[in-house]
Amino acid sequence: MQQYIIRRLLLNFVVIFLVATMVFLALRIDSDTVVRKRAGSCASGNTDPELYEECVRNTKAELGLDKSILNQYGNFIWDLAHLDLGHSTFGNKDPIATEIKERVGASVELGLLQIVVALTIALPVGIISAIRQDTWIDYFLRFFSIALLGIPVFVVAILSILLLTVYASGTFLPDWFGPQGHYASLTEDPQQNIKNMLAPALVGGLGTGAVMMRFLRSQMLEVLRQDYVRTAWAKGLKERVIIVRHALKNALIPVLTIVGILLGSVISGNVVLEFIYRIPGIGFYVTAAASQNPDFPAVQGVVLTVAVSLVFINLLIDVAYGWLDPRIRYS
Amino acid sequence: MYLEEQAPGTIGAPTAEAALPKRPSALSNVWKFTRRKPLGAFGFFLVFVLFVMTLGTPKAEFGLPSLPDRPFGFELDSPWLARYGEEDLFYDPDGGLSQNEDPSFDHWFGTDNNGRDMYARIVVGARRSMFVGFWALTIATLLGTTVGVLSGYFGKWVDTIVQRFMDALQSFPPLIALILIVTINPLGKGDTASLMMAAFALGFVGITSVQRITRGVVLATREQQYVEAGRVIGATDLRIMFRYILPNIMASIIVVFSTGIGVVILAEAALSFVVPQAVPLGTSWGLDLSNSYTRIGTNPNPVFFTAGAIAVAVLAFNLAGDALRDVLDPRLRL
Repeated sequence: MQQYIIRRLLLNFVVIFLVATMVFLALRIDSDTVVRKRAGSCASGNTDPELYEECVRNTKAELGLDKSILNQYGNFIWDLAHLDLGHSTFGNKDPIATEIKERVGASVELGLLQIVVALTIALPVGIISAIRQDTWIDYFLRFFSIALLGIPVFVVAILSILLLTVYASGTFLPDWFGPQGHYASLTEDPQQNIKNMLAPALVGGLGTGAVMMRFLRSQMLEVLRQDYVRTAWAKGLKERVIIVRHALKNALIPVLTIVGILLGSVISGNVVLEFIYRIPGIGFYVTAAASQNPDFPAVQGVVLTVAVSLVFINLLIDVAYGWLDPRIRYS
Repeated sequence: MYLEEQAPGTIGAPTAEAALPKRPSALSNVWKFTRRKPLGAFGFFLVFVLFVMTLGTPKAEFGLPSLPDRPFGFELDSPWLARYGEEDLFYDPDGGLSQNEDPSFDHWFGTDNNGRDMYARIVVGARRSMFVGFWALTIATLLGTTVGVLSGYFGKWVDTIVQRFMDALQSFPPLIALILIVTINPLGKGDTASLMMAAFALGFVGITSVQRITRGVVLATREQQYVEAGRVIGATDLRIMFRYILPNIMASIIVVFSTGIGVVILAEAALSFVVPQAVPLGTSWGLDLSNSYTRIGTNPNPVFFTAGAIAVAVLAFNLAGDALRDVLDPRLRL
């Protein structure tokens, strides 16, 4: 186990290194356009070619593009090792690492809330639909989950806001479930924070919950047909004990992998939800950075941060997997 | 009595062709599929409708080969599923633009804030979604299958290296990776983002999941006896990959292709909704949605119909893909 974790950690560093290299190279593919765009905005309205040339030179120096590629790469990796993601090129040019640090709380809160919502829906629904297989309630729940799976989260969010503005304006509903005018963190103003998070957590959680529910159902069906469950019935145990202690425990292990995969999609799905519900998390930040005459260091910083955290989340999931299911051997 | 009339020794002779079980016709196969998978058939029907929508105007930017002027007797100049063009402006009797109209007989889905027919815009928007969907999946399946087959077939150090690269690619969350690629815009020289670029970005992001599936199938197929037999008679690696393994993983590839299109259509719409500045201009569901979403208070109709169109398209491809998977490759886990 220990050996496995150490080996995985080493591999993770290789992967992170590759991620960083890919981001570095991606931004150098077409650096001319980047420079031209930036210089254009610097020399805006001025047609003097010399001023433009100077702008180009300044931008290149600012981005470090005037040095050799190896030199640039060395600097990039060196800064990264010091957790320095560079400075934003717009606004008051804050360091990106602090910008991300300020916003990460909102994103993580939303992601965790979504998983909580998803689990509270998926656990009972998945179990009921498995133990009452092929009854009307199973059909109803499955239809519901297929509908939720088919209609993307992004459309559900927009349609729910649409319904609220058209049919429920004037009631308390848009105030609680619509996009909010301003955002407050949990420590500042808990009530406002709940108003901010309620709708996106519900909408996102429903989508992820539908995936989990389908997976849990098929796992439960498989486990319920195992010999040891039949033994448990034969021993005369209560249904509740058999379902929760014997079947669910084993059916949940593979669902954990789904949670891991979903964590990734929760982060990227949150780009859209954060955008729609005006939550100042990382996703909202990256859309803003990509929109305004692209703020490359910011986009690059977010991509790196999210990618690296995903790599470690995956490691944690794998370790948890082996901890929950001792039959798994790491070789 | 019947046997006595036959010459001795002809008992085992082939019976007349009429006695053989009849080969099911294509139509009866379709009917059987419809009965077994009604939802899947419904999905295929919707996909067919979407496909017909794309046939209207072959625009140069789509990079399609030029079609004849009047295929099936329809004018190609106009989207012939709608009566109007997507940019046609409509005016009230008093001369003002007829903005934000409710659905009526003239404008089935109403008009938008610029006085354009929403139904026509949705018909034309389908074209972009389908174009991006097909090209992105073509890119993703071609590259993903190549990577997956090579990595799975050669195994050992090739597999280790390739899979580390795939791990790195996979740790980019799809939408954020898309935003990165589209903002860099590596293929489009100049300031305008091209549609092919968007398709390429979407396809590139899809490579990891495609290669994961094909690699898994190849790993299982590689150990089959017929592959071993091929190796024994001295077939080269290339021949084994193309003639022994590829035909056997074709079903999985088709399933991956068809289930992926819905995902890509949604991703394209989401991308143009959140960063409309970074995607190519034109008529698209995502761009229309980002435009009308800001005016949801004054006119919710366009939002409803565009969001509905996206949902229907995604649902159609998901239903069709799922049914196809159940029929072609039931064990495949996507």
